[in-house]
Amino acid sequence: MESILVLTHADERGAALSKGSLEAVTAGRELAARLAAELTIGIVAKDATDAARQVAGAAKRVLAVEGEAFTQARFKSDAAACEALCRAARATIVLASESSRFARVMAAVAHRAAGVIDTHVTAIGGADSVEATRWFYRQRIEAVVSREKRPWFLLVDAGTNAAFAREAGEAHVERIAVELPAMRTNVMGFRSPKTDHQMIRPDAKLLFVAGAGWTKKQPDGQIHVEQAGELILTFVNAAGASLGSSKSLVDQGGEGNSVLPFLTHLNQVGQTGSTPRHAKGLATCCHGEEPHVVGWRFVGERRAVSLDPNCGWTRGKADVVYVADAFEVMKRVNELLEKAAGSQ
Amino acid sequence: MGFHIVVCAGIVPDPLQTLEPATGPNGPGIKTEMVLPAVLDPWAASALYEAANLAGKNPGSKVWLVSLGPKAKLQQVMMSVAQKVSFELVPIDGPIGGFPDAQATAAALAETIGAIPGLERARLMLFGGWESATRGAGVTLQLVGERLGIADQFQGVDAIEVREDGSFEVLERVEGGKHQVSVCTGVPAVLGWATGNLAEPRNNPQVGMANMRTIMPALQKAKMVTLDANGLQYVSVSLPKQQRATRVEKNMSADEIAAELVAWMGAE
Amino acid sequence: MSSAPQPIAVDRQTMEVDIACAGFGPATGGFLTTLTQAWSESPADPAFESKVAPGMPLQVMCYERADDLAAGVSGVVTRGEGIRASFPKLDPAEIPMAAAVKRESVFYLLDPIGARRSALLRFGDFCLGLGRDSWVKDRAFELPWTPAFLHKHGGMILSIGQFNQWVGTKLMAGGLAQIWPGMPVSGPIFDGDNGKEKRTVLGLRFTDQGVDKHGVAADGYMPGMDVRASLTVVGDGPVGAVGQKLDERFGLPAGHARREWALGMKMVIELPEGSELEAGTVWHTFGFPEPEIFGFLYVHPERLVSVGIFVPSWMGNPQRTAYRYLQHYIQHPLLWKHLEGGTLRSWGAKSLEESGKHGEPFLTGDGFARIGEGSGSTNMLTGSGVDEAWTTGVQLGEAVLELLHADKPFTQENLAAAYEVRRRAGWVERGAREAKNARNGFHRGFIHGMVGMALAGLTGGRLALSGKIPPAPKQIRKIGAHGKAGLRLREAAKVAMADGRPLHDALMSARGWPEIPFDGRLLVTHQDALLMGGKVQAMPGFADHVVFLDRQRCIACEEKTCVAMCSGQAITLGADGAPEFEREKCVHCGACLWNCAQSPDGERSSIEFVAGSGGLHSAEN
Repeated sequence: MESILVLTHADERGAALSKGSLEAVTAGRELAARLAAELTIGIVAKDATDAARQVAGAAKRVLAVEGEAFTQARFKSDAAACEALCRAARATIVLASESSRFARVMAAVAHRAAGVIDTHVTAIGGADSVEATRWFYRQRIEAVVSREKRPWFLLVDAGTNAAFAREAGEAHVERIAVELPAMRTNVMGFRSPKTDHQMIRPDAKLLFVAGAGWTKKQPDGQIHVEQAGELILTFVNAAGASLGSSKSLVDQGGEGNSVLPFLTHLNQVGQTGSTPRHAKGLATCCHGEEPHVVGWRFVGERRAVSLDPNCGWTRGKADVVYVADAFEVMKRVNELLEKAAGSQ
Repeated sequence: MGFHIVVCAGIVPDPLQTLEPATGPNGPGIKTEMVLPAVLDPWAASALYEAANLAGKNPGSKVWLVSLGPKAKLQQVMMSVAQKVSFELVPIDGPIGGFPDAQATAAALAETIGAIPGLERARLMLFGGWESATRGAGVTLQLVGERLGIADQFQGVDAIEVREDGSFEVLERVEGGKHQVSVCTGVPAVLGWATGNLAEPRNNPQVGMANMRTIMPALQKAKMVTLDANGLQYVSVSLPKQQRATRVEKNMSADEIAAELVAWMGAE
Repeated sequence: MSSAPQPIAVDRQTMEVDIACAGFGPATGGFLTTLTQAWSESPADPAFESKVAPGMPLQVMCYERADDLAAGVSGVVTRGEGIRASFPKLDPAEIPMAAAVKRESVFYLLDPIGARRSALLRFGDFCLGLGRDSWVKDRAFELPWTPAFLHKHGGMILSIGQFNQWVGTKLMAGGLAQIWPGMPVSGPIFDGDNGKEKRTVLGLRFTDQGVDKHGVAADGYMPGMDVRASLTVVGDGPVGAVGQKLDERFGLPAGHARREWALGMKMVIELPEGSELEAGTVWHTFGFPEPEIFGFLYVHPERLVSVGIFVPSWMGNPQRTAYRYLQHYIQHPLLWKHLEGGTLRSWGAKSLEESGKHGEPFLTGDGFARIGEGSGSTNMLTGSGVDEAWTTGVQLGEAVLELLHADKPFTQENLAAAYEVRRRAGWVERGAREAKNARNGFHRGFIHGMVGMALAGLTGGRLALSGKIPPAPKQIRKIGAHGKAGLRLREAAKVAMADGRPLHDALMSARGWPEIPFDGRLLVTHQDALLMGGKVQAMPGFADHVVFLDRQRCIACEEKTCVAMCSGQAITLGADGAPEFEREKCVHCGACLWNCAQSPDGERSSIEFVAGSGGLHSAEN
């Protein structure tokens, strides 16, 4: 007979639960319903009152660890908090969001609970058992795993469940006391990359990927890097898109080649880069070779603009490929977007 | 005084290799993984170069590279890595790939690290890749740190700056493409690296020759481990097919394409 | 992203070893295996004490350009005599992808497309074709009898990448020699202005790292280190930089010239399930896609086949090319019967040095010896090179052991007496003499060539067609005026090129070759073959290793054969008519070296090809 604990934490501002945590709550409720298991929610926050109201009625018990120490996303304090919540709940399955905060500590917590952990879980299934789906080899191989050992911790990837929406009901919160050892680490704040614009936007509907073709010689025999940069920046800001890049384009930075200064390895999609989730994706001047496209796994609708009619995108990797000059196309797209914005 | 930096790094197939799952007697694996060219896990390699960089700036430091994999593959990978930076190799002869249980892998690594002669816990920086290019879980290094009792852990690290008094500032990747800035009073600490900011070091034959003097004997003496499945079962392992019916437009004008794209972007 | 720029004034470092090898392949593998096998039997022998690091054992280093020992390319079926002599208990099952030869066939391929130009050949096809379903099956005629010189009975099919990896692993594990991949050698270290007569070589110099594409110091600049050694073993292959520089400085023996080349390009294909092809099957073909192009198919275990073609320097068409011809080759009915539905696993290309005795360089000098394909060991009569290269390495190994035991220095005289004498007395030399003029006829045409080969083969080289072999640049037919037909062709090509296709591709289509029906699995675009098949990559921080020496000459060139023959489409035509080079696409095949129609002196190429970083990352070629 399984019992489920969903661990949640406050978002950066500290009052409400993070979006990922609310998604984990949904996952927990679905699993509990399927297995007819008892559900508990645990909260880590400075003050759990508001957070608890968000999940009122979601579960039988709501536990919380509160305190000033938990405003910081920090290994020692978060691990202690989660460990205490696990001990209080004594669940066989522990779910949590794959947030950077919980990813930092949850394996250690599982170890302290004499349990096991699987992370980056994209689906939890199984008829009357628990099976977790996750990717291997940078999203190139998909596996479904099951484990006998308990407690089994599962960190759930963002975007794989709907966020739990509040149902009516006041929350009775059990506060769990935690005695913290001395802290040697303090979180000082955040730092954004040295660009004026923050162009990695995980919540954007559209992912825009710039490939190495932008910095290659154009039909007039010249390289037009400044123009390329302008077109890309203008588009990304006008469309509110998230900016990604192929590996070859960000690698150019190391060769002393003229390159787009606002691109760093953080923008890289595929291979050692990220696998972002967006409803739509537009690839430009990019060949669409396999290792890069693997990073597109969670992009819904895909279109590409490329001068090569035989590029990888044309073979089943995109919905539409426009064989055209991206400089020309994006120039006109920007004009249309500007017109539309102007008329609002 | 310097640091004792232990870098945990696995080996992974070279980035452009074609991968296909295959089931063997010991569970799932990658078809012909032993034949495919292998490299050091990219983010773990970054950790190694950062370790060398840190060691260079802090006299009296030492770098160990602990790696679990089949001896023959470790030897192949060393032929490239050993030319980059100085380190002492601590190899563990074990299975290849991302499918073995992370808990078991971490146990083997932690046991081996605990037994490194001359390693001082009070000076220990435990480095590694944040998430590997095989299992991609971000679990192994964390567990090794936990087993070694290190309670200051940082993941998704891109930079470390050590100050005069031994304290250091760390940048970790968090949501939204930014970094969280933390300050820790000092070692021991665990750093799971992302790419960092250093360029890959150049191949240096002298470094290679010096490293090889200890690497070959270490490989010859490497102890063999079998990893406990730990109750992990693979229900299925597959290559997802993602084929779309692509519409290729060769004859549309730039104006027409732009209009279509803008309409597509606006649609729900 | 990079760290703060290093100061530009960095000194060139030097280090000393006892023996430095350039290139790791069958030849150096044979050399190091022979040396270390004897050494490991008597490790305490003072012969094996280092002279540069007293108290330490011999410092034996091998430097290989490619990023991985397994990155080699070759279509290998070998009798393997030399290899088996070094490994008496060898079982092919030990080496991934190796198979014992089971059956061999030679096929003349009829033309299923109508591409034949020569009336004589068309007539020949017609006659043969009358035997459809009796002596001609799948548009191919299997020779009922193949001459002994082509047989590989008792031999092995190998993946050269896996073979090199296997040998290299053994060597490294032994701990006596070190092999370092990813270390391109820019050239030998000469003795200043001295040493030309005695052909003195002092060691090897590595390429500079941390430079831009023009070789100018940039981030992380590190000038190429000098490795000094009392013996430099040069086994860097047919287009190796060290070999080239030795030839440049010391010249070739009188009357010798390296004029005969071919580009070998191959795919490794995974056959569909239920394939009838058996591991150990060896096919050699001629006749299609062009009379000049020979082909092969070798079957490895586990449903893998190596399929490839050779495009020779004596094929005069200036727009000759390899990749598209390879794609047409695999679609020939005889092959397509088995390959259709298969998956491309790997792809690669290399230049073959086919000059044999005609092009043999100086084998020894003060402080160096040459082995392997770059020393002219490949036998073009039997079509084999791997075992020959291995054996020359073994011969040098034995010579070096003799000199070490006798405590004699590696002077030109001593090396000649120990190595060259062994080489001249061995079977590789015997075969090379038989093969010397076997291919002369091809410079007068395909049929002459076949007759000449048969003559030489059947008489053990005693009879052969005479021939003058022109320098490589002159083997390329000038475009000139080709009349109305040529003009129409060029017009059609222009239309196709507007689509972004390269000229050689457009010309082939204009000549009537059907378009390739790309399927994304086996029939893929050239760029996809690079990425999916060859996994071609290049590290930043190295200079371009293909340099066009005279821009004006390139712009004026009409043939532009270098563009058509570049295996990786790394050489493309710039807008102004000058060629451009993208090192990220280069597979280091060296075709550009002998596919330049514009020689400054009639012999040399106008394209410089040196040792660069990167290339193939596929381990199955």
